Amino acid sequence: MPELLEKYSRQVLFPEIGEKGQARLIQSKVVILGCGALGTVQADALCRAGTGSLRIVDRDFLEESNLQRQTLFSEDDVQKGLPKAVAAENRLRQINSSVRVEGLVADVNYKNIEQFVEGADCILDATDNFETRFLINDVAVKYKIPWIYGASVGSYGLSMTVIPFETPCLRCIFESLPPPGISPTCDTAGVLAPIVNVIASIQVAEAIKILTGNSHCINRKLIFFDVWKSSWKQYEIASARSEGECPACQVGRFEFLEGKEGSTVTTLCGRNSVQINQGRENRLDFEQLAKRLRPLGAVHFNQFLLRFNLDNFEIAVFQDGRGIVRGTKDPNVARSLYAKYIGA
Amino acid sequence: MPIQVRIPVQLRTLTNGEEVVSASGKSVLEIIEDIERKYPGVKDRICEADGKVRRFVNIFVNAEDIRFLDNLQTPISDDDEVSIIPAIAGG
Ligand SMILES: [Zn+2]
Repeated sequence: MPELLEKYSRQVLFPEIGEKGQARLIQSKVVILGCGALGTVQADALCRAGTGSLRIVDRDFLEESNLQRQTLFSEDDVQKGLPKAVAAENRLRQINSSVRVEGLVADVNYKNIEQFVEGADCILDATDNFETRFLINDVAVKYKIPWIYGASVGSYGLSMTVIPFETPCLRCIFESLPPPGISPTCDTAGVLAPIVNVIASIQVAEAIKILTGNSHCINRKLIFFDVWKSSWKQYEIASARSEGECPACQVGRFEFLEGKEGSTVTTLCGRNSVQINQGRENRLDFEQLAKRLRPLGAVHFNQFLLRFNLDNFEIAVFQDGRGIVRGTKDPNVARSLYAKYIGA
Repeated sequence: MPIQVRIPVQLRTLTNGEEVVSASGKSVLEIIEDIERKYPGVKDRICEADGKVRRFVNIFVNAEDIRFLDNLQTPISDDDEVSIIPAIAGG
């Protein structure tokens, strides 16, 4: 313990943490879902802070365009074609060998999320889509695990801290998923590294408060931050808990965790394609979607179907949001492409 | 007197790229209707056909969520600021 205290001395000197807080942190278990921009910043900081164990789950492989903001990775990792979870695990072990690090290559879905978060003291959101966030919310509320929402695109982002049954949950604030195809994503609208670092750092600070026994100091508002406009704002959300009729934390209905909400993915036999069914009524605005996708690849649409071609893939989406990703049989790849370009 | 309304990125194609627009009205609904007159199409993106605010959109008057005030009937006074905040997906 004494040499550990030396290692973390600058954090231990901070009176709200102290030796007691550090000892708790060393005992704690954190799960980071997603290992892109937000996830790498979170993992790096929590690993250096001396979190006892870090589990990181991500479905993607590294691409060159990740390096602009995904701080744990290098050109060498990209050349090796490593999955993000594996490259992150390697790097984190170099950063702090005292931390138990586990990188898992998997698509987080309603069938496996419970096993990933089992025993977690805190979950950090680093995913790139709404659906997984609503799923995290369900599992966190069901098992009373604190979790921290964070998301960023362009130059702005949002964060809120959820302590189930004490603060509002994500569904208290955002009652349902937006329809696919209307929200900007990092792959259509771009994203600046600084906003990712701001949002991820807010999330890490929140996690450290919770893990060191300082839950009374958490952020209880919805934080909006824009690094380009140099503005930030906090919105009151406390009454959403006392006055809302949230399906998750008031009624106890976990629609995403039960697989009743959210998409289903089917590999289409012998066709090298995967179908993604949103399972909701949607009406896509092809005109808007085409405008966003044109700078990135060829787009064709008529009143029924929009086709978007990108490298070796084609994403075809129907008016109701159903998508077919051609050029892969891998559901992870298909889900990832759909989330990145159509946005769900 | 007109007040300031913060428009999210998703709707800025309808407001000629403007992030903050000014609008007049005595309630949130009147503000939205005033924006709709200047920038047709905005109301449809915020409200359902039956007039209720869409479930994935949150509207705040200053720092308060209108769902816990008077919803679209929430009164607006001169120094108020209205923000329309949808959830963000990116990570
Ligand atoms: Zn709730």
